[in-house]
Amino acid sequence: MRAGRLTASVAGIIALTLTAAGCGLSGGSSGGDSTAGGCKVDKGNVGSGKLTGDVKGQITFQTTNLKKDFGDFFNGVITSFEKAHPGAKVKWIDDPGDNTFTQRTVADAQACTLPDVINVNAETATALTKAGYLLDLGVKDPDVAKPFVPAFWKTSTYPDASGKAIHTTLPWYTGGVLLTYNKDLLTKAGIDPAKPPTSIFGLFADYEKIARSAKGKYFATMANPVWRIPGDFDQMDIRTLSADGRSAVFADDPRTTQWVAWMAKLYKEGAMPKDSLSSSNDPSTLYSQGKVAYGSTNPSFVRFVKQNSPTVYARTAVGQQPYDALGRASAGAPQYISVAATSKHAPVALAFAEYLTDAENQTAWCKDPNVVIFPTTSASLNDPFFQNVTGSDPFSQARKLVADQLKTADTNQTNLSPAVQNAIVAQVQLAMQGKKSPAQAVKDAQAKANELLKQAG
Amino acid sequence: MVATETVKPVSVPGAEGTASAPGTAPSRLRRFGRAVLPGPAPGANGAALYRRWWLPWLWTAPAIVCAVVFGVFPFLNTVLLSFTDAKPLGGAASFVGLDNYTRMLGDSDFWLATRNSILYAIVVVPLMVLLPLMLAVLVEKNLPGIGFFRSAFYTPVLASSVVVGLSWQWLLADDGLVNTWLEKAHLIRSAVPFLSDSWLILFSAMGLTLWKGLGWYMIFYLAALGNVPKELHEAAQMDGAGTVRRFWHITMPGVRQAMMLVGTLTGIGSLRVFTEIYMLGSSTGGPGGADRTLPFYIRDVGLDPLTGNAGYGSAVSVALFALTLGLTLLAQRLTKEDEA
Repeated sequence: MRAGRLTASVAGIIALTLTAAGCGLSGGSSGGDSTAGGCKVDKGNVGSGKLTGDVKGQITFQTTNLKKDFGDFFNGVITSFEKAHPGAKVKWIDDPGDNTFTQRTVADAQACTLPDVINVNAETATALTKAGYLLDLGVKDPDVAKPFVPAFWKTSTYPDASGKAIHTTLPWYTGGVLLTYNKDLLTKAGIDPAKPPTSIFGLFADYEKIARSAKGKYFATMANPVWRIPGDFDQMDIRTLSADGRSAVFADDPRTTQWVAWMAKLYKEGAMPKDSLSSSNDPSTLYSQGKVAYGSTNPSFVRFVKQNSPTVYARTAVGQQPYDALGRASAGAPQYISVAATSKHAPVALAFAEYLTDAENQTAWCKDPNVVIFPTTSASLNDPFFQNVTGSDPFSQARKLVADQLKTADTNQTNLSPAVQNAIVAQVQLAMQGKKSPAQAVKDAQAKANELLKQAG
Repeated sequence: MVATETVKPVSVPGAEGTASAPGTAPSRLRRFGRAVLPGPAPGANGAALYRRWWLPWLWTAPAIVCAVVFGVFPFLNTVLLSFTDAKPLGGAASFVGLDNYTRMLGDSDFWLATRNSILYAIVVVPLMVLLPLMLAVLVEKNLPGIGFFRSAFYTPVLASSVVVGLSWQWLLADDGLVNTWLEKAHLIRSAVPFLSDSWLILFSAMGLTLWKGLGWYMIFYLAALGNVPKELHEAAQMDGAGTVRRFWHITMPGVRQAMMLVGTLTGIGSLRVFTEIYMLGSSTGGPGGADRTLPFYIRDVGLDPLTGNAGYGSAVSVALFALTLGLTLLAQRLTKEDEA
């Protein structure tokens, strides 16, 4: 009798578990007319045709780590939107934005609980677009592109499940890319600070001069190549992935091996701290101590130096990033706004996304003294705040340089998955340590990257 | 003035919920009690007289539900996924049989991660079993100011792994405190590459794990040492046994169960180590990814939203589970044989 009850209880638990397991494998939700990802959604949210409907209902808007510093700004935007659209309600939530952001957001999408309007980076946008969880904004509102810098909009696309490039994001803001350097250390090495290099290899040549002049007392830059891949490849117009993104092709370009050979040479000659090969590549601390000649490549870093190390700030200058073979600037790592295809009030979500990223709101936020960001709309970049910069200090110059370059910049950076990026970086590290020849490292890096891309299907 | 009822004393334990005083109407609570709480089971006697078979299940239901939802279900789901080509982004998953396991056996990166995980356990577990015990013996006595030392040893436990990892990065940098001291003591001529040599990163990570865990397991041992009879120490001391001999023959046997527990917990923890490697070896897991452990490898091959293969990642997870279970059972068996 007792054994029977025990058996029945255990069988019940197993049945419950297997039922749950079945749910886990299938996923999805009920309700709606069409499907987006694994979720049933309103017919108008997917397929062709402009999105129509009343701007009424409650939506959720998710930012990434912005509530603490910019609560007043975003509450103001939400209030004015709700005032302009009676019947619309926006609930604002803020995600900490740690390194599990993409995984957590993908999990939300699979559970059909993606916020209606969401702040995403390129990696998350790529993942969500591929799985079909984001609204095709170019289709759902044909006029949506108007405010944005044309090159910026044109390149803000992601492949859907079939490989077709679609617009699932609105460019929101970017940090900008430029060179920041210690004039004194460059001069000691015989480099003219007023003439920044125009190519990546030209920059490497300057690193080498600094290493020879410093003799181990200070360094040119940091060793970990994680911030340079695929950024440097993109700037040099080296194709990292094939057109369909399903295979790595960077090894086919001989300049990739030359690039790795340069990195290995610079590491060996002491242009980079040895212990930074696989640890933090952030030069902020060492630059502020005058121990590294080149700082981080964004204007907010210039402000960091201004606030934390006035002595080094007095020796700091900024220069345009090397345009190299690409011939134009990289926009850095822009932040985007997307609308969930699973939204139950998609007209409200789309209207709010467009309102948040319009020229007026972008300009207003960029003027916030707590932030050093740059807008993505043409009207905002032409604002006197960016164009009438009069100061000759590095921070003012940085703002002018980046605002100018963004008028023609695009979001050309290749979207590598973290695993593929790490696989390439790991092989470059081995070459830098002298454990592999540059040619072999590039060959192995491509093979490792292809292994990961192949398993992704 | 509140009216009081006289309740007839009840002689049978557990019958309070079912008996009502004569002349008083049974309250709602009592009626509910009669319906829900146990009545006498046929053929039972003593304490079991009023026990229903399902009552233990009722009390343990919340724990069982939690275990099923957060433990059994994810485990079974992982096993199921390991036979598929499921992707982290969802979508249709196909059954691939043993393909993932076959791939795993021929995957050199998997074996490298397995080697690192096992090595981590082999080095960390014995040290983590012995060092906190020695520390506990040191701070066990109630000497003046001993509270300060107990707190100091426990402090690393309270610090977040990320903060500890950053502190260790600064300590182990080429111009960090450790290298500076070694240079000033004329023990080295050039900096020891703690953060750029893959072996040194691995051993530094082990040091970090040990340093962070010492205080935690010291508390375990302090509790266990309280159960070791002081008379045994006194008698042994009178018989001329020294400190080392008493530690070996009295203290260690007295805390054997605690050592077993610490060994098991540390073994499981060592095989799951991720943060220490990530903090000291960054996202690649050391130069060339040479310091990746199994959880690190699972993250790389299984969890990446764009290129991950949840099926393969699950297969590696199952292998990690088997390894953990195997080492735990082996440790238990060795302990039993030792006791016998």
